[in-house]
Amino acid sequence: MNTFTRRGALGVAAVVGLARPALAQPRYPARPVQVIVPWGAGGGTDATARIVATLLEREMGQPFNVVNRTGGSGVVGHSAIAQAAPDGYTIGMITVEICMMHWQGLTELKRTSYTPLALMNEDPPGVQVNASSPYRDIKALADAIKASRPGQFKASGTGQGGIWHLALAGWLVAMGLRADHVRWVPSNGAAPAMQDLAAGGVDLVTCSVPEARAIIDAGRARSLAIMAPQRNPQFASVPTLNETLGINYSVGAWRGMAAPLNLPAPIAQQLTAAMQKVWNSQEFKDFMNARGFGMVWGDAEGLAKHMEQTDTTLGTAMRDAGLVRG
Amino acid sequence: MNPILEAFTMVATTEVAIAVLASAVYGMVIGALPGLTATMATALLVPITFYLSPIAAVATIITSSAMAIFSGDIPGCLMRIPGTPASAAYTDEAYAMTRKGEAELALGTSLWFSAVGGIVGTVALMIMAPALAEMALSFSTFEYFWLSLLGLMCATLVARSSPIKAIAAALLGLLVACVGIENPGGVPRFTFGSTDLLGGIEALPALVGVFAVSEIMRALVSPLPPRIPDRKLGSILRGQWGLTRRFQKQMWRGNVIGVLIGALPGAGADIAAWVAYATSKRFSKEPEKFGTGHPEGLVESGAANNSALAGGWVPALLFGIPGDTITAIAIGVLYMKGLNPGPTLFTEKASSMYALYIIFILANVLMIPLGIIMIRLSRHVLKAPRAVAMPLILLLCAVGAFAIGNNPFAIVLVAVFGVIGYMMERNGYPVAALVLGIVMGTMVEQNLVSSLIKSDGEILPFFERPISSGLAALTISALMWPVAVWVIRRLRHAEPAR
Amino acid sequence: MHLSDRVTGLFLALLGSLAFWGGSRLPAVPGQDVGPAAFPMAIGGGLVICGVLIAAGIGHSFEAKDTAEDDQAPGLARWLGRLGWLAAFLPPVLLIGYVLVVDTLGFLLTAAIMLLVSARALGASWAMTIGVMLIAPPVVHLAFGKLLRVPLPDGLLAAPW
Repeated sequence: MNTFTRRGALGVAAVVGLARPALAQPRYPARPVQVIVPWGAGGGTDATARIVATLLEREMGQPFNVVNRTGGSGVVGHSAIAQAAPDGYTIGMITVEICMMHWQGLTELKRTSYTPLALMNEDPPGVQVNASSPYRDIKALADAIKASRPGQFKASGTGQGGIWHLALAGWLVAMGLRADHVRWVPSNGAAPAMQDLAAGGVDLVTCSVPEARAIIDAGRARSLAIMAPQRNPQFASVPTLNETLGINYSVGAWRGMAAPLNLPAPIAQQLTAAMQKVWNSQEFKDFMNARGFGMVWGDAEGLAKHMEQTDTTLGTAMRDAGLVRG
Repeated sequence: MNPILEAFTMVATTEVAIAVLASAVYGMVIGALPGLTATMATALLVPITFYLSPIAAVATIITSSAMAIFSGDIPGCLMRIPGTPASAAYTDEAYAMTRKGEAELALGTSLWFSAVGGIVGTVALMIMAPALAEMALSFSTFEYFWLSLLGLMCATLVARSSPIKAIAAALLGLLVACVGIENPGGVPRFTFGSTDLLGGIEALPALVGVFAVSEIMRALVSPLPPRIPDRKLGSILRGQWGLTRRFQKQMWRGNVIGVLIGALPGAGADIAAWVAYATSKRFSKEPEKFGTGHPEGLVESGAANNSALAGGWVPALLFGIPGDTITAIAIGVLYMKGLNPGPTLFTEKASSMYALYIIFILANVLMIPLGIIMIRLSRHVLKAPRAVAMPLILLLCAVGAFAIGNNPFAIVLVAVFGVIGYMMERNGYPVAALVLGIVMGTMVEQNLVSSLIKSDGEILPFFERPISSGLAALTISALMWPVAVWVIRRLRHAEPAR
Repeated sequence: MHLSDRVTGLFLALLGSLAFWGGSRLPAVPGQDVGPAAFPMAIGGGLVICGVLIAAGIGHSFEAKDTAEDDQAPGLARWLGRLGWLAAFLPPVLLIGYVLVVDTLGFLLTAAIMLLVSARALGASWAMTIGVMLIAPPVVHLAFGKLLRVPLPDGLLAAPW
């Protein structure tokens, strides 16, 4: 139970810290910081948030406690971050869904509801097929899709209207086809979709390469391309759409750190600086590389810009796929 | 060096020993707290695994999750607060034993057959992982649809009531599962504009509500039960040996069901425990005793539950497909430690694989002494007078439900499901069927819709694939069973009048 | 609260028809022949059938005899007299009350109040009630709030740790 003693020791340190005279402007952070994760324990976002929190704790000398606020398909946690007091003691990890949910009319929250702090990671979608599929490269698959009748090809990767569905829709539109030319088979996440691909149930899966990796390594599936500006150094043999088809289309599932709106600028700058150190640390790199997660950095401004861009791209893709409501 | 010997030297280090022991105690304690699940226990461990060697890191995950799954049965048995949907299959049976004054026997059964199931599951993992993995990969949405429907059909077999009421309760559960946006269409259904309902109704708050809160509600309007005689049961283990001999067939059947269903990602321990309990009742010589505190079903479903957990590691280790949330976390740790899942893990890293097997066995053996201590400690809970115990359980329901997702709405759900569970029980509707409907609903619908999309609306493919047609036959016969029983009874009753 | 099969059966049938109607109003999804409406409608239909069968008393012969309950319970039920059956609904009311006030009052005070009311309602003596009220909330807070870092609200009375 060495965790508890370690936490206990930190707790004592926190109490001692509070006991200091509050006359001088207290140095931030003076007490533990809550890191809200809108997704459940055990997922990729949770794992990323936990390593970031562990390293931030070391960087800033106060505990950073990860709190999973689940519910409402991410809406509950995202609004908990937005509605917290902007004092720097509640921050959170926001995900690409913040640029999707408002288009579907699920929430009022959007990218402008937060003080952006840092972009920590982005995973672009890939195009995976069964190992015994006749399409050896992305060009052959794209030609076959173009020649097929609408609905003949079946693809999967997430639920209806999820990020990988939009990736497929955007790619099809970029090829000059209708967004629903390939039938979307909704699945409960990338892992079941990859399993169905291996079982021969669907023709292609457009989830990210790290999510598909184990099945690819097992020789049951192949990755034909990724929808990103550059190749992923972890999977260097997989080409981009641009170099093979000349389509400059990219969209990805990203994770960033954000705080409620109107966070005082000095605190925001301090947090962004600490997160940059975390991002550059060897531990973080090792973790992300081991998981195969894409390393993309953006400071506060970078995250804001990135969110703006995804918001437009995904908005267009959702409109094309007929998913925009309200 | 021989990889098996090498594996032993990898495990026999102080670091691994401390990691196993500490995480065993940790998992035991966390799992026994209502609302805190084995998933939670494992997720909290992940930051610590950063500082451990690969084998020690995976050992903490394996050990703590095995312990937490067992000790999750403790609040279910003593307070009727089941820890997981899987243990909900036998919560009522165990609680009925507690009310008969046999809490130690019930918990001992759960402990002993959990450990046996875990070890059998591990052995199955060792000798036939590739074959099981091939089977798992041949399951497409068609097979999953029939399997989930079959799981649902267990509702009518398990219930001690009219089959029509059982079906109605299961349908009610399916209706609850419709709520939210997590459906194949991605359309908000029955959310009435509420953000909290958007994500759907989670099984755990519903479980706590229909089992624990409804029990407290009943306590408020029923007279004090006669004091449970403080019987000395003697050795917990000796009693189990007797049960093992008496219910040997049930134990093995439970293990086989657990290993087979557990190896299917996503279906896992939940369906396995229910199917095992239903099978046990269906083939029992004394089915009328089920639900009144009879250990037979507990033996079979307890064994199935834990061998399913070991089975769940098959697709995780071979293809990186998580069988449940715990193996999802474990896969992350495996990657971080350079033990990438895949067939190469079994060939190039064979010694590490053997080391993991040894830890599986070790964890399940260690579970017995630690579990006995835990049972001896926790049975004191029963000595508290009802007027003090019930309020405490109510408080734990509130805190435990909140702890699941740190969302106060879960407490509201607990309250609502408390009322639903109470009303259902008082009027002869089995709550277990409702729970099964909630757990299976998403799976049934998801696989039905996905299959129909893939087959372009054709029904025939549901019966064409070999495994699929076999499962279809099983499901349809389970569906017709209550009708057949009813008709036969009617005919028998009619005869004397002639 | 025991109701006749006729009442519960008809209630289920009503619920089923509402589900059917609610399901039928759901929008179709492009690219899915079987949209989000099908499942609720099928369940609704099934519930209507089951409800009618239950109301008609079919399958009743399978049920175990209802054990006599609702007689002399100590505490609140006795105090309420003929309305004693209402006492059963105290726990859900307390849970909802907990959600409503816990952010203002804080965990320790809310938990103490909840224990006070429910222990007295179950017929606990004052000595026992006060003992539980004083001991249990800090212990639960220590286990869940401190060790497991569940963010239990502080409110008016923060825990000293």
